[in-house]
Amino acid sequence: MTAVGSDIHCDLLVIGTGMAGMAAALFAAQRGIDTVQVGMTGEINFASGLLDLLGVHPVGSSRTWPNPWDGIARLIRAHPRHPYALIGAESIRASMDIFVAFLNEAGMPYIRHPEKNVQVITPLGTVKTTYALPETMAAGAPALKVGTPCLLADFPGLKGFSARQIKNTLQERWPAMQTVRLPFPGLRGELQTERMARRLETPQAREQLGKSIRQNLGGARVVGLPAVLGVSRTREVWTDMCETVGVPIFEIPTMLPGITGVRLRECFERNLPRLGIRARYQQKILPAPRLSGGAFIAPVGGETVEAQIRAQAVILASGRFFGQGLHADRHAIRETIFNLPVYQPAARVNWHRKTLFNDRGHPIHRAGLAVDSRMRPCDEQGRYIYPNLFAAGSILAHQDWIRQKCGSGLAIASAYAAVRAACRSVQSQTPSTQEA
Amino acid sequence: MQPFILATIALGICLAGTLWRIGRWFWSDIGPESLSLPTKRRMRAARQTLWRVFSGRRLFKVVGAFQWEVLLLGHLLRRHPLRWAAHMLIGYGLLTLILFHALDDWITPLVFSDYEPTLNPFRWLRNLLGALVLMGVLATVVRHFRQAGEAFRTPGDRLLLVLIVVVVLSGVLLESARILSPAVFDAMVEDYMGDDDPEAVAALQAYWAAEFGAWRARSGTGFSGEQIKTGASIHETFCAACHDRPQSAFLSYPLSRLMKPLMAVAGDHRLNQWLWNVHFWATCLALACLPFSKLFHFIATPISIMVRAAGPAAAHPALQPVRRALALDACTHCGMCSQHCSVAPIYKVLGNPNILPAEKLKGIKRFQTHRKQSLPKATLVEGSFICTLCGRCTQWCPSGIDLQDLWQASRKDMIQSGAAPLRRRSAPPLQTALVPPAPASLGLSDRPETFWACVQCTTCTSVCPVVAVSEDPQRDLGLTPQQIMNLMRLQLKEQAMDSRMLWDCVTCYKCQEHCPQDVKVADVLYELRNEAWHRGARSDQRAANQPPHGSSF
Repeated sequence: MTAVGSDIHCDLLVIGTGMAGMAAALFAAQRGIDTVQVGMTGEINFASGLLDLLGVHPVGSSRTWPNPWDGIARLIRAHPRHPYALIGAESIRASMDIFVAFLNEAGMPYIRHPEKNVQVITPLGTVKTTYALPETMAAGAPALKVGTPCLLADFPGLKGFSARQIKNTLQERWPAMQTVRLPFPGLRGELQTERMARRLETPQAREQLGKSIRQNLGGARVVGLPAVLGVSRTREVWTDMCETVGVPIFEIPTMLPGITGVRLRECFERNLPRLGIRARYQQKILPAPRLSGGAFIAPVGGETVEAQIRAQAVILASGRFFGQGLHADRHAIRETIFNLPVYQPAARVNWHRKTLFNDRGHPIHRAGLAVDSRMRPCDEQGRYIYPNLFAAGSILAHQDWIRQKCGSGLAIASAYAAVRAACRSVQSQTPSTQEA
Repeated sequence: MQPFILATIALGICLAGTLWRIGRWFWSDIGPESLSLPTKRRMRAARQTLWRVFSGRRLFKVVGAFQWEVLLLGHLLRRHPLRWAAHMLIGYGLLTLILFHALDDWITPLVFSDYEPTLNPFRWLRNLLGALVLMGVLATVVRHFRQAGEAFRTPGDRLLLVLIVVVVLSGVLLESARILSPAVFDAMVEDYMGDDDPEAVAALQAYWAAEFGAWRARSGTGFSGEQIKTGASIHETFCAACHDRPQSAFLSYPLSRLMKPLMAVAGDHRLNQWLWNVHFWATCLALACLPFSKLFHFIATPISIMVRAAGPAAAHPALQPVRRALALDACTHCGMCSQHCSVAPIYKVLGNPNILPAEKLKGIKRFQTHRKQSLPKATLVEGSFICTLCGRCTQWCPSGIDLQDLWQASRKDMIQSGAAPLRRRSAPPLQTALVPPAPASLGLSDRPETFWACVQCTTCTSVCPVVAVSEDPQRDLGLTPQQIMNLMRLQLKEQAMDSRMLWDCVTCYKCQEHCPQDVKVADVLYELRNEAWHRGARSDQRAANQPPHGSSF
């Protein structure tokens, strides 16, 4: 007997638990595909909670788009290799609709205007263009637009969130803003957002905080707080606080990792298994997956192999460098699990431009997996590597999601397209494997 | 007393004792919920579980575990070859001897139709098996000496080893005596030859003395070749069917050569009888002891291993108390849990052996036996509550015991018994400033690459339950996990080591599991804690050598 646990058979293996991995698992579950999902804590912990679709195009121009679909149409025309161009506007739209509907049902309502982008403030006081907002952040957008008198609160010990800095940066655009620094109930010293959020899930703590905000309200008609209003009972915390304070409260994303990502992660980790996803969170793909009779055999586990997963198709959503889907050494960038060809600059000297803060970004940001129209990773000649291996999310090449403000949209739409293609592949394979 | 009756009584004690100990699993109350689970319900749960295991796919796992872990002791093979060898030699040696030698009237003829104890290869096999058992005992003793300092053995264990040696050695010597003994020869002649022709007997005796090493006690003169020839033909007629040459008994035959003077002094008949008595009584004693000594793990541990292999199929809530009672019996006190215990450094500081899982389990056994009369010992309560339930012991236990569950259940029992809840103990002050740097260890914390990937994202601190219960982590812990990682990546180990976080870490591994960059946060904290203790111990020693300065702990 070896240390290897039992074999697990499935139609689809989703590798990754970031935004793209979670979205892929969701879409697969809704299509009724028998799916196993594997991955360590993903980059989703580092999500701001905002769902960006397309904010900026072209990169370097700082041109923002009030209507993301106009921007996408322009982007598709200008960059036929961008993943959005491979997926098509119609599928992007469908994927966003399904994704937002799921979050609404799961108790994490998002507010959006289907045809419009909105602008919100960041913890640095800058303004960012995004598409859909969690309800707890929604009041910030109209308030910024019309300059509603606002009280901004921060807490001693919470790093990277200064109300005074935000006010200074924003003073021309939003003059009617006052700030206050309040002690955080029940915690002292350095504060972490997750601890604050869990503390606010007790009624006493939010009562205390709500009262001290109300005492400092002055003429403010809206209150901005760092995103710390609860983790799994956000809605309860937020409505309670709004009631106690007496005016609408909006959350501002904090420095990462913030509680906004944890909320999304917990929401998916709670709901995906209910939808039939066989989740193996906190496990990863170990060396080395192989092909056998057309199916992938992937060993998974923590330190040692705990199971062998046999999957008819695989969606690779392992992220970029931080998510460890890509690895850069002194010479080249490689893909870490299947050793797929990575589209990248010819030499390391070309990875970066001469100036670090160049508006147009760096060539390394557009490195990644080049895929065909069915989201299959390809070689330089455009030939797919495996007929049943698909890629989604930030690992894809020819995009710069940070500067284009399209991270969530890219993850969700590419997951949607990859699941659709994987579904076809599985359906076409099933009869032949039965015969065999 | 008739030997047969005595053996039957010993076997009866063995069987009744085994039944009683198995029965005890069903009526011992470990864990508060067990009080509402009468024996009947536990029996029903056991029946249902057996049915579920035997009718489901889990059966393959259980059978697999039986073959690999019970029959072949595969889990020991890789980690502890010496221990594996000792177990295999003693276990299979004794088992074969019991089946084919002790029970040779009943079992052996079924397998070997022409079996006679004095034929080959049985003579040789008996000696071989005895030698294997003795080698196994030797391996155990060697292992115990090698493990000196970590004394996991008890006086009972040693007595048991002595008993096994007595059984085997007395058997070997008894065989020697019988090879040699004129009295045995005479009795056999009387029974089988039925001939009182002294010529023929003398001839046979001559042949046996020459070829079979029998002692010619009564005849002072040498034998002629003629006599031996006649003896050979008599031997062919009367003896050869049941007697092969005894030289194949490679232990007993040489020993029989040495035994002549002893036999001359002690007397033929008396020596035989005496050796037989020792061999027989020791065997009966060992048999009767089986259910009441460590030998019972021979029964309990395989059951425990197979229950673990049954996994979820055996997770019936009404079966929990049964499994815990089984656990107390299945523990062999091998000490592997104590070697891997994450609070073992605290044992080194406080000196309370009940902190170590193997000792704690023994304490719990005593507490459960005398529960109605007395409270648990204060040291046991302390040990139980210092435990962080990290689960390492369960992971390492070769007997398949869910130790974590046992600790949780017995803690509840202790609270219910009224043993006072413990006061939080403050961490001992560390005098790192006085201590020269430790010799560079090859551990994680001295390798810069351990911390290369850290991006100071604070995830480890955010998920840490120790940080979560503190109102002011800086006051209570000094440093949070991510701050310790930051100091470590700056190579500021001294500063990192000064933190109380090291001592309050419950090694729950949440930090390590959640780290997006695979930094081994919990392992590093654990290693630093151990190193901090070693330094403390050294500074203690120095303080002891310089009396006026006193001790740091």
